[in-house]
Amino acid sequence: MAWIMKNSATAPVARRAEPYLDEATKALLEADVIPRYPTRRASTLPVLHAVQDRHGWLPTQAIEEIADFLGLKASEVLDTASFYEMYWLQPKGKYLIMVCESISCELMGHEKLMEKLHHKLGVEVGETTKDGKFTLMHAECLGACDTAPCALINETLHEHLTPDNIDALLDKLP
Amino acid sequence: MALAEPVLCKRIPTAPWGDPTDRKLVTYEQFVATGGYEGLKKARALEPKAVIEVIKASELRGRGGAGFPAGVKWGFLPPEDGKRRYLTVNADESEPGTFKDHMLLDYDPHLLLEGIAICMHACRLDTAYIYIRGEYHLQAQKLINAVKEAYANGIFGPTSLLGQINGRDPACVVHRGAGAYICGEETGLLESLEGKRGWPRIKPPFPAVAGAFGRPTIINNVETLAICGPIMDKGAEWFKTMGKGRAAGVPATVPASFGPKLFGISGHVNRPGVYEENLGIKISELVNTYGGGIRGGKKLKAIVPGGISMGVLSADQYDTELDFDIGRKAACLGLGTAGVIIMDEDTDMVPVARNIARFFAHESCGQCTPCREGTGWMYKMLTRIEAGDGTTRDLDLLLELSGSMGAMPGTTICGLADGANWAIRTILNKFWGDFEKRVRKERYVSLQVASAAK
Ligand SMILES: Cc1cc2nc3c(=O)[nH]c(=O)nc-3n(C[C@H](O)[C@H](O)[C@H](O)COP(=O)(O)O)c2cc1C
Ligand code: SF4
Ligand code: FES
Repeated sequence: MAWIMKNSATAPVARRAEPYLDEATKALLEADVIPRYPTRRASTLPVLHAVQDRHGWLPTQAIEEIADFLGLKASEVLDTASFYEMYWLQPKGKYLIMVCESISCELMGHEKLMEKLHHKLGVEVGETTKDGKFTLMHAECLGACDTAPCALINETLHEHLTPDNIDALLDKLP
Repeated sequence: MALAEPVLCKRIPTAPWGDPTDRKLVTYEQFVATGGYEGLKKARALEPKAVIEVIKASELRGRGGAGFPAGVKWGFLPPEDGKRRYLTVNADESEPGTFKDHMLLDYDPHLLLEGIAICMHACRLDTAYIYIRGEYHLQAQKLINAVKEAYANGIFGPTSLLGQINGRDPACVVHRGAGAYICGEETGLLESLEGKRGWPRIKPPFPAVAGAFGRPTIINNVETLAICGPIMDKGAEWFKTMGKGRAAGVPATVPASFGPKLFGISGHVNRPGVYEENLGIKISELVNTYGGGIRGGKKLKAIVPGGISMGVLSADQYDTELDFDIGRKAACLGLGTAGVIIMDEDTDMVPVARNIARFFAHESCGQCTPCREGTGWMYKMLTRIEAGDGTTRDLDLLLELSGSMGAMPGTTICGLADGANWAIRTILNKFWGDFEKRVRKERYVSLQVASAAK
């Protein structure tokens, strides 16, 4: 959550010449997303999603470009982006593994799953493997408690997980 | 009295009427061929106010957690002024133990869209935003496709059978959240919809008066809207043949528990899943008939009746009826989302409490000090107790803390703190032994250590 502080004040801002929010994407958003809402600001979440989908995360420069596009201050966009779990203000791995740790999943064996993942990937929660392939995270209830324990890997929900089948699952990912 | 035939699950195979492995997405054509959008047509033939009267007469209560009568909420809107008014659909479903909206969105999205159109007609709302939690990737996509079908078939858009509302073509927009439980709270949802952090607003003003973008707004849960089509199709009296009415002598002003309801069962049962039954079914009956009984023939230890915010029941409350009156009957917060979690005799309630405290500490939005600090400290203390380092004083402190935070004691803006309060307080009160065992042992050890150090 927002009050769990993330380092942004002292981090140097990396910049590149090529914009993150390119003209083609802007045109698409202008046609499809902006007209849905009575204010430009209301497009903040969909625009953040769109830019993150394209780049994997939201660099500070992207936040600034989004702010310009929506007619907001960069701080306003950052304020929103930093509040939500799904927006990444630092790079993440190719595959984001979000293991549910809420109550039904804990009752059904989430701990064994985590042991396996720590062992297999050699990372703690919040870290990315050295090859940049996997980022391990916890999630709160994913709304699939009847098939606990479960995890999201990128956009796909995986249910009825066991240490063995998650092992096989990760091995199969390209 | 058991449900005669499925209503919400009419097109979604569910035991005992069908095999869940046969579930498939219901398309627009299939929905219409099986009587879909009939309720909308009947609603359309009525004056908007008359539709509100039908929903009022059905005594339908909100399925999102608070159980507020839907028709009464719809009646709160101020008179039209020609400017925009909104419907926001709460599909943020994030309460641990809850996955019922997930099933509706997965298989029968048009049932929701029909309810949305009915509500827009009745309340004169020109735009509906479906706020769906960010983690429901697949469901959001299915919803977007279903909305496209609905536009193409004259439910929304320029060809809508509703005609223009507030001088605009009725619009329906899918809006994805980005991972925050608090955006399920209705005013947190509105802030998030407006592109801000999901900080709940101080009420009043209530959303019906000043909601999304400062305009009159109705907020309803997915399941609440989904049942509106069948109600408009078959009538309020039909709806009231199901569920539980008022006991003799209770005045008609007290809302009852009519209608069918989706119940999610998870935890230590043989057949976890979503099942549809009338309100008022006993927990034991639900678990045995639908959930296939407790796993491994074990004995019951604890029950979460409706998502963890509602608190916990003990085994001797197994026969409690699941209806909107459950709070008063069983000393819990209420029916909540009707997401039932079953814990067997081997469950240790200390880690359960720790898990729940962590959830609330993680999801508190941080605006109110009692909630932000209270949930954080409860989590720390429970972690300490679980590690064997707790003292009896910690237990007293936990009780004091959990009893003093919440919108109902009047110390916080929203109900998240009440959820944390009830969950931790009921676990402590009903399973005191589990906690006392842990702390007593450790106190003995730490005294020893203390005397050795002298
Ligand atoms: C912390 C918190 C979280 C909530 N989460 C949800 C949710 O995920 N889905 C939902 O429908 N209602 C949720 N609610 C209840 C809503 O605030 C609101 O009462 C409900 O959406 C109204 O719809 P209904 O009357 O149809 O139930 C939550 C409430 C609180 C206090
Ligand atoms: S009670 Fe908790 S979650 Fe609700 S507004 Fe206050 S701090 Fe935020
Ligand atoms: S508790 Fe893990 S999906 Fe609900």
